[in-house]
Amino acid sequence: MNQPIIEIEHISKVYEMGSEEIFALRDVSLSIYPNEYVAIMGPSGSGKSTLMNMLGCLDTPSSGVYNFKGLDVNEMDDNDLATIRNKEIGFVFQTFNLLPRASSLRNVELPLIYAGESTTKRKQRAEEVLASVGLQDRMGHKPNELSGGQRQRVAIARALITNPAIILADEPTGNLDSKTGVEIMKLFHDLHSKGNTIILVTHEEDIARHAHRIVRLKDGLIESDEKNSQPTYYETI
Amino acid sequence: MKLSEIVESIRFSFESLKSNKTRSSLTSLGVVIGIGFVVLMGWSLNGLEQAWDKTISTVGADMMYVDKWDWTGGRKWNSIRSRKDITIDQVKLFAEANHGADLTIPMLRSWGKRIGYKTNSIGGIAIMGTESSYGRTSAGTIETGRFFTEFEDERTTNVIVLGYGVAKALFPTGNALGKSVKVGKYSFYVIGVLEKRGFLFMDFIDNQAFVPLKTFINNFGSSRRSFSIAVKAESVADMDRLREESRGYMRTIRGVTADKDDDFSINESKAFDDNIKDIRLYIWSIGIGLTLLSFIVGIIGIMNIMFVSVAERTKEIGIRKALGAKKSSILTQFLVEASLLCFIGAIVAFIGCSILIFFGKMVIVSFYPDLSFISGYLPPNLLIIASIVSIFVGILAGLIPAMRAAKLDPVESLRFE
Repeated sequence: MNQPIIEIEHISKVYEMGSEEIFALRDVSLSIYPNEYVAIMGPSGSGKSTLMNMLGCLDTPSSGVYNFKGLDVNEMDDNDLATIRNKEIGFVFQTFNLLPRASSLRNVELPLIYAGESTTKRKQRAEEVLASVGLQDRMGHKPNELSGGQRQRVAIARALITNPAIILADEPTGNLDSKTGVEIMKLFHDLHSKGNTIILVTHEEDIARHAHRIVRLKDGLIESDEKNSQPTYYETI
Repeated sequence: MKLSEIVESIRFSFESLKSNKTRSSLTSLGVVIGIGFVVLMGWSLNGLEQAWDKTISTVGADMMYVDKWDWTGGRKWNSIRSRKDITIDQVKLFAEANHGADLTIPMLRSWGKRIGYKTNSIGGIAIMGTESSYGRTSAGTIETGRFFTEFEDERTTNVIVLGYGVAKALFPTGNALGKSVKVGKYSFYVIGVLEKRGFLFMDFIDNQAFVPLKTFINNFGSSRRSFSIAVKAESVADMDRLREESRGYMRTIRGVTADKDDDFSINESKAFDDNIKDIRLYIWSIGIGLTLLSFIVGIIGIMNIMFVSVAERTKEIGIRKALGAKKSSILTQFLVEASLLCFIGAIVAFIGCSILIFFGKMVIVSFYPDLSFISGYLPPNLLIIASIVSIFVGILAGLIPAMRAAKLDPVESLRFE
């Protein structure tokens, strides 16, 4: 197999609560390769959020090695981390995390503003990705004028705009009804089949089953890391 | 940091300020008041400057007066008083020697005279005796009628040219020409009225009246009076040379030895500069004081609101950081927002002051028509100064909150609800 995008070795994360040390992650090792579709599963408190923050370069480990595309993340300063997040990682959050006062288009082009793209290129690319998630007629709408499913699509479009190396989705269907959730999972399936690498963080078994590989966490340790030979797949309606 | 990012910051700031209209406008009130003071102060100083320039130009920037008295006087009063009078012979010698001057005009004056016409009279007037050539200086510019001629001087005719202030007091409806006015027991025939020369606090310059020198000596006598010599230069540029030459001649004529100070003064309209400097300083200190005070209040208000804004938008900061915003981007965002708030305040202040000044001028002119030359508009360079100051104030007020925002931890911020 080719070079992994993400390669973590023996990483731990310790939080100090008063005099006590709490291990959110203990000695976790994991590699993720291009075009994988991985679900990170675990109950609350299992350390999956901490792992996600780590993988998303929002946080740094207390110990261990994290290589992103062969680069040592521990060596990076805040600006380097911001650049990695901007160019290589597309975040999709449970609560969508759109800017409430900005239109869909403005929300989607935000990462390109920080990448320093020109206005015309930004707009063109934002229209492109919004169309690719089926929102070509909702570009001028603000988040409060959109349904939950549409908001999550805007967030996915925003995650896609920089052509990131991985898409990191944290409970993407957690705030949606099951029918809309299915639509969103279908969208992830499509993105995966187009060659994207997807990391799905969830505590729901049936959502995790959409992925092709399931990593289970418990008490900060990897409990299991298995291939899912029969991922859930919905026929396109 | 790219320009496009700053432009985007401005767009986002507008959206953010718009969503909190009441709060934004209340916050910028301090800045509106501060900038308002700066602008009004600038305008009044400008008006003062205009009045001053107009006074100087009518008194004559190309004129100097060789005199026993010193216009700036003050501390040396006693030594000045003991100076010997300048005599008519000295004036003649000086005029013969001083070829470098355009005009050399002897003058005598009598202070505190009262001039009357029928039942009207005005006191505290300086009666000046001079030659016809005074009419060729800018200080002798006529508004109506004419200045007296050499012939009238030779013949000691009782003609008089009134200063603007005198004419206005005695003939409120105009028509001074041809009238007979009284100075003491002597009657004078009014042949001309001078143009207005003094503005604002320099009004006293217009309380003068001019008669031919010989007439003056005949009527008021020349004993115990010191001549002064009005010297007109070819041009303002020639003043320095002329001053030094005049000084040299006068020292020789009056027999001042090398080890002694001048026993005469050479006065120029520049001497008044000290007066205006005081007034300018006075306006500046009041203005600066009020401005600083309102800016401090304004800065505290804006800083406070920016802290609230940073706290409220912690989540937004987290999202932006997750999407790749660097510390500098977040810093810029909040600095731009604070500056924009101040800048809008400055524009509002400028528009408000423009309206105030436009109507203010109309009111002032209706009471003092002489001041109609004062500008009813704000000079555009004030707009630039006000804008720059406001942006600077915004940066000052926004810096600490913006730094706090930039330092926020992305994980913590994203968790914020």
